Amino acid sequence: MSILEVNGVRKVYTGRFGGNVVEALKSVSFNVEKGEFVAIMGESGSGKTTLLNILAALDKPTAGTVVLDGMNLANIKDASLARFRRDNLGFVFQEFNLLDTFTLEDNIFLPLVLSGTDYTSMQDRLRPIAAKLGIPGLLKKYPYEVSGGQKQRAAVARAMITNPKLILADEPTGALDSKSSDELLRLFSEVNRNGQTVLMVTHSVRAASVAGRVMFIRDGEVFHQLYRGADSDDSFYNRIADALRLIATGGEAV
Amino acid sequence: MTKGLYLRLALDGIRKNKRFYLPYILASVGVTAMFYIVDYFQFSKTVAQMPGGDTVQATIEIGIFVLALFSAIFLFYTNSFLIRRRKREFGLYNILGMSKRNLFSLIVWETVIIASISLVGGMLLGILFSKLAELILANILKAQTTFGMEIPPNSILFTLKIFLPIFLLIMLNSLRQVRFSTAVALLKSESVGEKPPKANYFFGILGIVLLAAAYYIAVSIRDPVVAMVVFFLAVAMVITGTYLTMISGSVMLCRILQKNKRYYYKPNHFVSVSSMVYRMKRNGAGLASICILATMVLVMISSTASLYFGSENSLLQRYPREFNMNFYMNDFDGFSDENIEKIKGAVAETLGEYGGDVRNVIDFRTATTAGFLDMSDGTVETNVGYFNLYDTGSLDNGIFIFYFVSLDDYNKTYNTNETLNPGEAMAYVFRNRYDRDEISFNRGETFKIKKQVPEFQVPGEGVASSAASMVLIVPDIEAAIGALAGEANFNGDRIVEPTWYYGFDTGLSEDEQTKYSSKIWEAFKEKLPSENCGVDHRLFEGRALERRSFYSLYGGLFFLGILLSIVFIFAAVLIIYYKQISEGYEDRSRFEIMQNVGMTSKEIRKSINSQLLTVFFLPIVFAALHLCFAFPIIKKILLLFGLSNYVLFFAVTVGCFAVFAGFYTLVYKITSNSYYNIVSGIKED
Repeated sequence: MSILEVNGVRKVYTGRFGGNVVEALKSVSFNVEKGEFVAIMGESGSGKTTLLNILAALDKPTAGTVVLDGMNLANIKDASLARFRRDNLGFVFQEFNLLDTFTLEDNIFLPLVLSGTDYTSMQDRLRPIAAKLGIPGLLKKYPYEVSGGQKQRAAVARAMITNPKLILADEPTGALDSKSSDELLRLFSEVNRNGQTVLMVTHSVRAASVAGRVMFIRDGEVFHQLYRGADSDDSFYNRIADALRLIATGGEAV
Repeated sequence: MTKGLYLRLALDGIRKNKRFYLPYILASVGVTAMFYIVDYFQFSKTVAQMPGGDTVQATIEIGIFVLALFSAIFLFYTNSFLIRRRKREFGLYNILGMSKRNLFSLIVWETVIIASISLVGGMLLGILFSKLAELILANILKAQTTFGMEIPPNSILFTLKIFLPIFLLIMLNSLRQVRFSTAVALLKSESVGEKPPKANYFFGILGIVLLAAAYYIAVSIRDPVVAMVVFFLAVAMVITGTYLTMISGSVMLCRILQKNKRYYYKPNHFVSVSSMVYRMKRNGAGLASICILATMVLVMISSTASLYFGSENSLLQRYPREFNMNFYMNDFDGFSDENIEKIKGAVAETLGEYGGDVRNVIDFRTATTAGFLDMSDGTVETNVGYFNLYDTGSLDNGIFIFYFVSLDDYNKTYNTNETLNPGEAMAYVFRNRYDRDEISFNRGETFKIKKQVPEFQVPGEGVASSAASMVLIVPDIEAAIGALAGEANFNGDRIVEPTWYYGFDTGLSEDEQTKYSSKIWEAFKEKLPSENCGVDHRLFEGRALERRSFYSLYGGLFFLGILLSIVFIFAAVLIIYYKQISEGYEDRSRFEIMQNVGMTSKEIRKSINSQLLTVFFLPIVFAALHLCFAFPIIKKILLLFGLSNYVLFFAVTVGCFAVFAGFYTLVYKITSNSYYNIVSGIKED
């Protein structure tokens, strides 16, 4: 069953006085099944970020529809969009986006507090997640006191704590060293194995190779996609790398 | 060629950062103008020629240094916001290949531009408005002024002498900051991660204790003289207490709230409380400064305004009649009815020669002494050498001037029919309270106080003195004084002087009084020499003659109060403005994150709004609190200046507060608008 259906999404940015029209997305269509781990790859300017903003309901498409778990995002009123995001989506950003005024724990609690959850049940929810992410000892610390990898794990915990239908990750390893990246990716695939649907936008072949499916975007269109099948991470890595090379040298889809 | 480049870069920098530079330039122009105007009064010949102008100039001579110091601190403070902003740009230039030396030329050019605009603009503005200020002063002093325009060269020189070094110091400070930091540090200076503030319980509680103690002192003091001495102590305590409370106390409060999980983890409190901690840490000092400035403005303007508007009232109390005469007799023989009739006759005769007549008379015989009254046992020490102010034991104790007045004179003057037994007295206490029903003097005399009388016109010298007065109405002055009569104090002066007070209106016009008062007094003295009427020495006070000096003193104070208030308000507004702007930039990224995590912009706006409101109105609420507690002590101090009209003082204070609060709210509206524009990323230009 598809949890996310994207149909013919088009996005056009218009300059201030009607001039300078830029077509960021031409026509993007794809489905994400429940429990899938999808990576979206593409060069800068390919429309990745625009697509992610549209999926996150931060931006509206010029044409086409996005349906999340049977709900058409276009039908949600502006006033309830934030609540919708809070209840159905989890976000992980390249720059962590933790608030420096909160401890890690409070950062993780933020979406729950906004939904009015009481303190004890917030703690009950946090305990298993923190254990899984290996951060129970860090919860009382402030973002400035911990490393980038630890910050990102806290951000993942914040994304997971609402039991979202979909986690959207935007270059989650972009600001991490290779060791922290590996660890984070391992966490992502583990979270995914437990049934969490994840959609990740990335530059990194390494990051994409842990996904179950990789979609390549070029010039505002889904240009190509690869399924892992029975591949190990390493052989999938090689296939992705080959595909990228072909795309870069201007070849057609394989 | 390169010189031109730096000038251009400097101009560009100022133009691009005009949101920061414009208020700074306006501030320095304003401060310079203000300084010039105050300085104008010091050197202006027109002002010197006004009646009472010399008093104003003397007052301003003190005020000008306060103003100079304040201008320096203020410009440094506002400039620090600018440096923080500019550092990033400097770092970029540095990385792009500009040497530190080049950056220095850039900073020098910038300072030269800003200083020139401020000095030239400020002085032009000052010259323009100095005439207006002069007219206002003339009006306050009830003096005439000419229509010429005066520009005293000394004022211009002095303004330059103060402000050039200030700008030079500001420049050196900027140079120092750039000199000692690396390019990368400069680049990142705006986004340095902040440690979460720790609650400092010691300072937080100390602040609250200091405030409470100062408040207690302010409301518990009874004696005006002690009030005057303690006032500065209380002010110092309030200032320290305010800073500590706002900086540490507020963080402490937030931390306590955070510990209460059920309170803290609520949508309305969660974001607000945790951001407040940071806001208070950053703004505690600024808010405390605003609070102190506001309190100073309110205290200054309300007390000087009350004094000024109450001058007529104080004048009437200090000089109850148009002519006031004191005759200090050699001994009690001078109190005989024949002697007093003789003096009255001579006065009436002399006055008659100038077309006046004696009317509306108050006269009474009194013996005066001063002493230290211990409230705990009702004893009076009259040998004034034995104690000093700092050793008063209790704040309630105080120095009193005692007037012994005969019952006959009292009944005659106030049309009453009181009777007293020997050893009994009726009391009237002025500027203090006395609740015991007995009073005893150190040399034996003890009086049972039968009752306190509702009114008595205390002699002018008692009103003028800073001490409290107590009038004791006794059956027989001479008997009451007893052994005291022969005593001398540590100076060798007799401690009791038999005095006859004679006050009356003259039927002469104000102008005639001004012209003839002294002549009448001289003529009278010639007519009746001291030795012919048992007088040791005598004193004359004419109300018309004194009126001018009253108005010039209080008018001068009021005027200075207005000037300083304008400067302080100006400062407070700028602190608020920069606070809002710099916070706007810092909060912007937080705003975005919260939106991404699923906070609606409505929720964010609500939370920000409540934080802004708290931060904004905290100073004025505290200022109001300070003012409430300061009211009783200032009331007592104003008594020393002769103001006893509490209703006037109260009304003026409330009025000043209302105007100030209105103005403050207006500033809030304007600055919070630019705050929202910044956080929501709307470009203003």
